Amino acid sequence: MKESTDKQPRKGGSTPTGAKGQCLSLSINSQIEDTVLVAMAIRGVCAMTGLSAEDINRIELCVVEVVNNAIEHAYGGCSGSLVNVDVFVEPGKALEIVVKDQGKAMPALGEVQGVQVPDPTDPDTWAVSGRGLPIVDQLMDAIRYETSDDGNAFHMIRQLS
Amino acid sequence: MGFSNRQEADKTVVEVDESRLDASLATPFRDYIFDLIGQGQKDLIVDLSKVDFMDSSGLGAIVAALKQVGGDGAIQLAGPQKSVHDLFDLTCMDKIFKIHGSVDDALSDSSKH
Repeated sequence: MKESTDKQPRKGGSTPTGAKGQCLSLSINSQIEDTVLVAMAIRGVCAMTGLSAEDINRIELCVVEVVNNAIEHAYGGCSGSLVNVDVFVEPGKALEIVVKDQGKAMPALGEVQGVQVPDPTDPDTWAVSGRGLPIVDQLMDAIRYETSDDGNAFHMIRQLS
Repeated sequence: MGFSNRQEADKTVVEVDESRLDASLATPFRDYIFDLIGQGQKDLIVDLSKVDFMDSSGLGAIVAALKQVGGDGAIQLAGPQKSVHDLFDLTCMDKIFKIHGSVDDALSDSSKH
């Protein structure tokens, strides 16, 4: 693990799949048009967990941002590679979503800036990009990014209790 | 599906006839708005009522449009659904956009000034 911004580090092992855990694995082609497939699947899983409509929308947003980030940055926007998404559910406890790619690693998460508040009087502060990961950091209970010889893995954890 | 525009009084209403304004549509949407601005239509109301999902790329396209109109125009937003309004709140972009409940609200608000 290169970097961690866990706000509420989980106790115990590195994956949440305990005896009562469930896992769904998805794979898409690395093209932006296919991110919606993951988004819809995640919405379906979230609907089983008792999360509110607002929370489900926010989790969908986070997953879309991280998957798009993998496609655009790890793979340079080129289709033909795989983005894998694993969803671990521990009912009543936690939801963990892991977005994996085999492309170029991104910088450590410690460098993720918070959401920048724009100044209405200063157009230079109205950024047109760079909001994706700050949003994810803000909305998830914990995020973690790992790189290894097997590729890159972006973990997002949302408590369900 | 797609984008369309119409004139309402002295404003151009841009309708987004898409349920998702995301990374796959951000560039076409930005180009569409830039074309309108290039034609001199710089007082825009963007009708977002049909959009039920927007990501940071979609948001970035709208911000790019606002920067493009510069000081001699305006971009107002109308009818965002809860999830879209949430994105503007989360990113504090509600501070730089005037957001109305509907296109009619935006038009009647403008006519008061």
